[in-house]
Amino acid sequence: MSQLGFRFLARRTPRKDAEPKVRGLVKYTNDLEYPGMLIGRVVRSPYAFADIKKIDVSEAVRMGAVVITPDDIPQKPFNPRLVSVDEVTFKDTYVLTYKPRYLGEPVAAVAASSEELAQRAAEAIRLEFERVYKPILDPFEAMSPSAPRIHEKIMKGDKWIDVENNIAARLDYEEGDVERGFSEADYVLERGFKTGKRYHMQLEPKAVLCVPEPGGKLTIYTTTQSIHNTRILISQLFNIPESRVNVVKVPIGGSFGSSIQTNYLVPIAVALCLKAGKPVKIAYTREEDMLDHSNFVFHFKIKIGARRDGSFTAAEFTNILDVGAHQVQPYPLLGTSLGWFVSMYKWRNLRYRGIAVYTNKVPGCALRGYGAPEVQWAVETMVDEIAEALGIDPIEIRLKNYVGRGDIFWGQGPTVRSVIKSDGVPELLLKGRELINWDKRGRPEEKKGRYRRGIGVARGFHTSGAGGPISGEVIDYTGCILKLNEDGSLDYLTALQDHGGGTLDAHVKIIAEELGVPPDLINLASASTENTPYDVCTHASRGTFVGGECARRAAQILKQKIFETAVRILGRVVNPEALRIGYDEKLGETVVYVEGSDLKITLREIARTAWQRNWGTLVAAVTYRATSAPPSFTVYYVEVEVDTWTGKIKPVRVVAGADVGTPVNPDMVEGQLHGGFAMAWGMAFSEDTKYDPSTGEIMGRMLITDYKIPTAQDVLPPEEFKVLIANTYEPSGPFGAKGLGEAAMNPAVGAILNAVYNAIGVRFYELPVTPDKVVKALRERGETPW
Amino acid sequence: MRVEFILNGRKVAVDVEPSETLLNTLRFKLRVKSVKRGCERGECGSCTILLDGQPVTSCMLLTLQVEGREVTTVEGLEKDDLFKKLVDYFIEEGAIQCGFCTPGILLTAWAGLKQGRFKSVDDVREYVANLCRCTGYVKIINAIYKAATGVAGR
Repeated sequence: MSQLGFRFLARRTPRKDAEPKVRGLVKYTNDLEYPGMLIGRVVRSPYAFADIKKIDVSEAVRMGAVVITPDDIPQKPFNPRLVSVDEVTFKDTYVLTYKPRYLGEPVAAVAASSEELAQRAAEAIRLEFERVYKPILDPFEAMSPSAPRIHEKIMKGDKWIDVENNIAARLDYEEGDVERGFSEADYVLERGFKTGKRYHMQLEPKAVLCVPEPGGKLTIYTTTQSIHNTRILISQLFNIPESRVNVVKVPIGGSFGSSIQTNYLVPIAVALCLKAGKPVKIAYTREEDMLDHSNFVFHFKIKIGARRDGSFTAAEFTNILDVGAHQVQPYPLLGTSLGWFVSMYKWRNLRYRGIAVYTNKVPGCALRGYGAPEVQWAVETMVDEIAEALGIDPIEIRLKNYVGRGDIFWGQGPTVRSVIKSDGVPELLLKGRELINWDKRGRPEEKKGRYRRGIGVARGFHTSGAGGPISGEVIDYTGCILKLNEDGSLDYLTALQDHGGGTLDAHVKIIAEELGVPPDLINLASASTENTPYDVCTHASRGTFVGGECARRAAQILKQKIFETAVRILGRVVNPEALRIGYDEKLGETVVYVEGSDLKITLREIARTAWQRNWGTLVAAVTYRATSAPPSFTVYYVEVEVDTWTGKIKPVRVVAGADVGTPVNPDMVEGQLHGGFAMAWGMAFSEDTKYDPSTGEIMGRMLITDYKIPTAQDVLPPEEFKVLIANTYEPSGPFGAKGLGEAAMNPAVGAILNAVYNAIGVRFYELPVTPDKVVKALRERGETPW
Repeated sequence: MRVEFILNGRKVAVDVEPSETLLNTLRFKLRVKSVKRGCERGECGSCTILLDGQPVTSCMLLTLQVEGREVTTVEGLEKDDLFKKLVDYFIEEGAIQCGFCTPGILLTAWAGLKQGRFKSVDDVREYVANLCRCTGYVKIINAIYKAATGVAGR
């Protein structure tokens, strides 16, 4: 790392936005106000599946509210997420609808001069129902031929298609000869898995402010991971040219995948704004936010065949995806689920069946890892079981079979393939083994008493972006602008969003490294769709790897222009190649110089000269597509303690290993691992939005108290959380860097539950593993603690 | 109805509805935007303020209840040495990610520090009940403990 002689990278540096954030000066969407602004509220269906006969708005209108119903909205179906290409994008959603398909689906909306008046007007709207259906909440029930159809016709790209058996999308795949593979196996294991329906619980509820501008233009501020995709969607829905829709990048209070899509309140605010001719802001309450988005529910069936020596002969993977009432691009998730599975181990022969199914639940969307935490939990559980059955050390079996350096990796699905060039797995597995005292962990049957401790391991990865050498079904490219100001400072413009993890700080450090300009002279300029090249979205852990490399290339181009200008000034220098750029400690300035001579000029002087002599602005505009999506490998060793009386489980020690290539900022690498582990802990033990089977309502009135995420008390004391950073370098990344946001979490649940097994000898196949399930499992085994 | 209270050391008078929460008065009438709206049900802690020096969630208070009392937000602590120390440790430790929970956590932590509550890392973990979804709390706990003792927990 530091041996590569970096000046800014691989060092702990305070992030640029730390100061404004601690002082509370950062303005998030709901902090914005506009003169004459109206406040919007959404009217939601009280039923999970129904036909509305009439929406009576008279009372709300009498109260002075601006009201919209489905009649005010162009009735063309859309998909709020635009990451896949159009031909494989399924469209089934309407901004407002007379046929709500989940409890909480928007059916009308109001805007008024105050939040209270808007709320009163929303409550004054009367919904008359034609018919209320019994909600279908189970995907297997939904697929039965006798089940009512949640959707009849939807669009795939620009074609209408029929929906059969409530199946939203499918993806099948086969490689090799699976039957022969299983016949060659000495041991075959088959398991079923089910996850909870997790809610992102980002601290900032979704919000939007839409402002009408002169000339029919709209300015939109919103919580989004992609300003450009938000603009494209609004342009398409309302038939306004993109040049008249400007989406401004606003800091967001966490997201974790919940705004890869344009959240439903954005088109609602636009419709209200167009009707009122005034600025409209909508800020969700926490209840509404939970009704807006949550994860998919995964039902897996996995069969793995292994030889006595621990090598695998075949695998079969069935993935039934409960997508909820509308598609937020679950089709690519069928692909990535397969991709995560395939890229874990060399199965040799493989069959996959992926089916996305509609139910009357909140539409499922991506949540940190996009299926990887779920797949890696299931696979790492089974690999542990197979190792035990074959009498092989769990670490050995992983090292023997994992997909690593030189292998083809296609985490992001069958159309996104590249060859693995950097791989820290052996280093992390072997170092972690020592640090956690793996060999002293003991066997579950040896452990007695009320409190039992266990150690588990799991490994996994996430991609860095979704790029590749061939254009597939996923859109992935970015762009940026970097310009040298007249005093030698820099303005950097990118549409790429920072969810809070410090992605853009990484870009700044990468530019600083390339040009020798200190980060505090590099301005992260306010960005919007009208002043930036297209960027698909900050997702898929692509921010540093794709966006950072784009920034580096812009800096490289700018450097060339700086050299050309310097040659003009210096006169005696033969050509730009003779020049170097760097930060001069003694001068406290960035200088351009000739190595081994005293010929030197400051960047400030170059910038000033170009300005004063009318030579023009030195600027680089780059659009960049990464030709690979390399895996960032992570390894978790976890020790837990199980209270066998109460079923409560607490973390004792964690060794989190990350192969991120060059760590741009080790502080932020640690921050991702800490946060990833906490999220995994919630996924393992508490997080699930449960639905009332008769009404289809989320139980617990959408209170956070009932949707428990980890608190400071539930996680580890800091001294027990050890982070390992692998000594690797990714040749396709900026200065060797890869992504991390999702890899930081992906294998953690597997490690946690393998540790639980090591403590009490029980495997759990359904998440979350709540205390009652633990106690029940121990009782079924004949343990009665008191 | 007219309510008077001390906001960050300055007397303010404001007209409010009887049902108005302190959170909304601060954000929308007094333009104090460091107080964040995260749940409006006293669960997440993003809207934490200090009421006579004690951390409370401002979404659970009616503005009428703070008549004559002292309300402090991060803006009011900018010149406080203990607060500056706390903030420096937050920045140094890298305890900030999206920043949405940060002002509320700083206020809770500051109150705990001021009252000498943090003798151990566990004291910090128990007292700081604000929710954060980004950091897994590790660096936050470290920064607070460091401010309390001068020693980081790691």
